[in-house]
Amino acid sequence: MGRIVYAAAMSHVLYPDYYGQNVGPHGRRMVEALIDVVRDMGRALAAAAPDALVVIADDHLNVFSFDAVPAFCVRVGRSVKRMVQDDAIEFDRALEGLPERYPVHEDLANSLLEKGLQGGFDFAASWSASLDHAFLSPVSTLYGERPLPPLVPFWVNCFVAPQPTAQRCFAAGRHIARVIAEGLWDVAVIATGGLSHFPELSLARVGQSDAGFDRRIVKLMEAGDYEPLTALTAKELHESGSHELLNWLVLMGAVSPARARARFFGEMGRIDLAALEWDVA
Amino acid sequence: MSRYETNVVLYRLKKDPAFRDRFRADPRQALADADLTDEERDAFVRWDARRLNELGGSLHLLLSIPGLGGH
Repeated sequence: MGRIVYAAAMSHVLYPDYYGQNVGPHGRRMVEALIDVVRDMGRALAAAAPDALVVIADDHLNVFSFDAVPAFCVRVGRSVKRMVQDDAIEFDRALEGLPERYPVHEDLANSLLEKGLQGGFDFAASWSASLDHAFLSPVSTLYGERPLPPLVPFWVNCFVAPQPTAQRCFAAGRHIARVIAEGLWDVAVIATGGLSHFPELSLARVGQSDAGFDRRIVKLMEAGDYEPLTALTAKELHESGSHELLNWLVLMGAVSPARARARFFGEMGRIDLAALEWDVA
Repeated sequence: MSRYETNVVLYRLKKDPAFRDRFRADPRQALADADLTDEERDAFVRWDARRLNELGGSLHLLLSIPGLGGH
């Protein structure tokens, strides 16, 4: 019987130069402190020796165009490439020294798809989607020079309305947990992104966050009180700039009823940064 | 309703360097075949990113078009 051996969620722009340039010295120092915590979390992750690592993250319109935006998408196939972009944004350019290709845990990925169809989840499948900073920045920070387990990248549509509901994301996480439990593997699950930034996806509000909202949701995760989180509406997530919390809600569904422990929380102004681990032992 | 077309143009500007060069050289000509309203077309030609965002243009596309975006 399979099990979740490690679970965590964290912000995914782990690039000090970006915040140094756009926020100033305190932004740089804050993300450097977060990176130190994520590296420490990586030691616990590596010690758990997972057979597969499920990474729940979102697309920033790097992979999917407006021709088709899946609510959820599972990356299948034998391997997945690091995204290469002409004139990439700076925190994607920072990935350029990383390996070009990563193994995919095909059996787990296929099980998520096939059992999803049996259980009411019509996930999209992609054989070609590549990984940007939302996946590789946290993964590379967690693992450093250590060898990575095969990945199962899982995309959530956080930014193109209409997004999946918080309740649906949580339910997708429950499905992931069931598939893992029915499988043969020790699996780690991480979610990335957030916390609050760019309220209403408005260019005029770039630089703002909703720290009060974030303090509240971190407390709820620490209490294992997921009902208020699954009740969050698209309007609340949009107005607070918490679109990427949908990734975290998938993770919460996967680990519920476990409680989180906040390893890092910082209010930068432009964004709130966080890293949480769940007690899944 | 051309929110779709607005974002298709933004996506092409992000991903298609040749289209981006044509747009930089002559935005009105580059957009001649795009199914945009006059207001959307005008916002593109003036490169008014905030107006494009208000008209439904994706924030993440607007912030990441090489040479036109910027965080």
